[in-house]
Amino acid sequence: MSQPIKCSLCEEAATVHLSQVVHGNVTKVHLCEACAQKGGATDPAVFQLADALTIASPAPTLTCPKCGFTDIDFRKRGRLGCPDCWETFGDALGGLLLKVQHEASHVGRAPAGTLPAGQLRRRLDDARVEMEKAITGEDYEAAARLRDEIAGLEQQLAHS
Amino acid sequence: MSSVEDILAAENELTHLLGAQQAVVLSTRIRLARNLEGMPFPGWAKVPQRKEIADRCVEALDALPKFRRGHVLRMGELGDRDRAVLVERHLVSKELAAGKSGAAVISRDQTCSVMVNEEDHLRIQVVKAGWHLRGTWHIAEQLDDALGGTLKLAFSDRLGYLTACPTNVGTGLRASAMVHLPGLCLAGHMDKVSRALNQDGLAVRGWLGEGTEAAGNVFQISNQQTLGLSEEAILKHLGGWIRNVVEQEWNARRKLAQEEGEKFVDRLARSLGVLRSARLLTSSEAMNMLSHLRLACDMGCLPEERRHLVDRLMIEGQPAHVQARAGQELDSDGRDRRRAAVVREALKDFPEVVPPTA
Repeated sequence: MSQPIKCSLCEEAATVHLSQVVHGNVTKVHLCEACAQKGGATDPAVFQLADALTIASPAPTLTCPKCGFTDIDFRKRGRLGCPDCWETFGDALGGLLLKVQHEASHVGRAPAGTLPAGQLRRRLDDARVEMEKAITGEDYEAAARLRDEIAGLEQQLAHS
Repeated sequence: MSSVEDILAAENELTHLLGAQQAVVLSTRIRLARNLEGMPFPGWAKVPQRKEIADRCVEALDALPKFRRGHVLRMGELGDRDRAVLVERHLVSKELAAGKSGAAVISRDQTCSVMVNEEDHLRIQVVKAGWHLRGTWHIAEQLDDALGGTLKLAFSDRLGYLTACPTNVGTGLRASAMVHLPGLCLAGHMDKVSRALNQDGLAVRGWLGEGTEAAGNVFQISNQQTLGLSEEAILKHLGGWIRNVVEQEWNARRKLAQEEGEKFVDRLARSLGVLRSARLLTSSEAMNMLSHLRLACDMGCLPEERRHLVDRLMIEGQPAHVQARAGQELDSDGRDRRRAAVVREALKDFPEVVPPTA
């Protein structure tokens, strides 16, 4: 059985099919009930086919090589296609990430409970600064604890 | 007996366990979003891929000791009412229940449920009655480690756990508390509190999560940021705010009880009176009056050991639960009649409301 034709503007099944001939070129638009209503497709005098087309099919500028997801798909759905999309769209999403997350890089757990090398290094830098502070502040108990942590981190880094 | 009937019949800590309930905080929840490496996210995957994802995830989950003698529920095999019951119990989301290719693996004690093929391949959820942020987190952490041991999870050194939506990337962690805030609502402070929480990066939602109303003065407060903060920092931030909100709620309650005096007790007593004798009860009416009973239990106006019964009625008074208990589809009047009967029966030996001691 063939797949039902999807609406050019959303993912619903299309029930309104329009053809328009412009300078001898035939263009077709398929719309669902809701989008057709919205675009005024029920009133040919009002309906701007060209408008629908410009929303429906601007050329994608980025495509995930792994799953075929494009930046246009992202604009429609607000979700990515697969984990590898993050590689493809990562830079383009930078602004959005800063807006919704206020941060650009991960701090926290990794699979199997280990910290990735980048995080180990960051923690090591912080711990060294904290130890200096503890020594200056004569908090030797904290300094000793940090010294042990630093030794542990250095060992983990040597093995990673 | 279907698995969903089994879930309904089983005693679990949110509805039955005496002593697990606490004043103000109904429950603590941890959610982790995880995905399999190399597979498209459920919303973009083709049907056969979604099936493969479900099979691989369910197999891995089913093998974990945590889910021994638990439930494996495939949404496509369940009726509408069973799926609605799971949503009302917060075991699955509306989104998962709406699709055919989703599955849920639920531990026998119903504290852990993993949604498969929701927005992400895996949504690990752990819920404990009362306020237990650390304990709930540790269970989720162990589940995550166990799953990471058998499944190759999508992770990047720079962005952390990779998710379908940019709002979950990084830790994939959503930590939340379900809080009962009748004092702040009655005092008219809830808008202010909501705004303060929003401004500091926390979301405030209604009883059934995103886009739902706060029936019964119950709100869900959760972190929004998942990237650039460690799990530890996220939990600490939420924990600090919840303690603050609980304190403000108690202040509002005490102030109300003191200022209103007899009127305060009268309000609670009236709710008990209506619940004990009504023949027709709508779902929101029941929630709002049960909220008064819970407040009464917290304040010493009713015995504290009745609180778990109030919590159970809040859950079991929802539409799908009422129908499941009745064993039949009921129209709106039929549900209201049945709900009233269940509540009347449960409250028949409740003592009278007395002035507060708390």
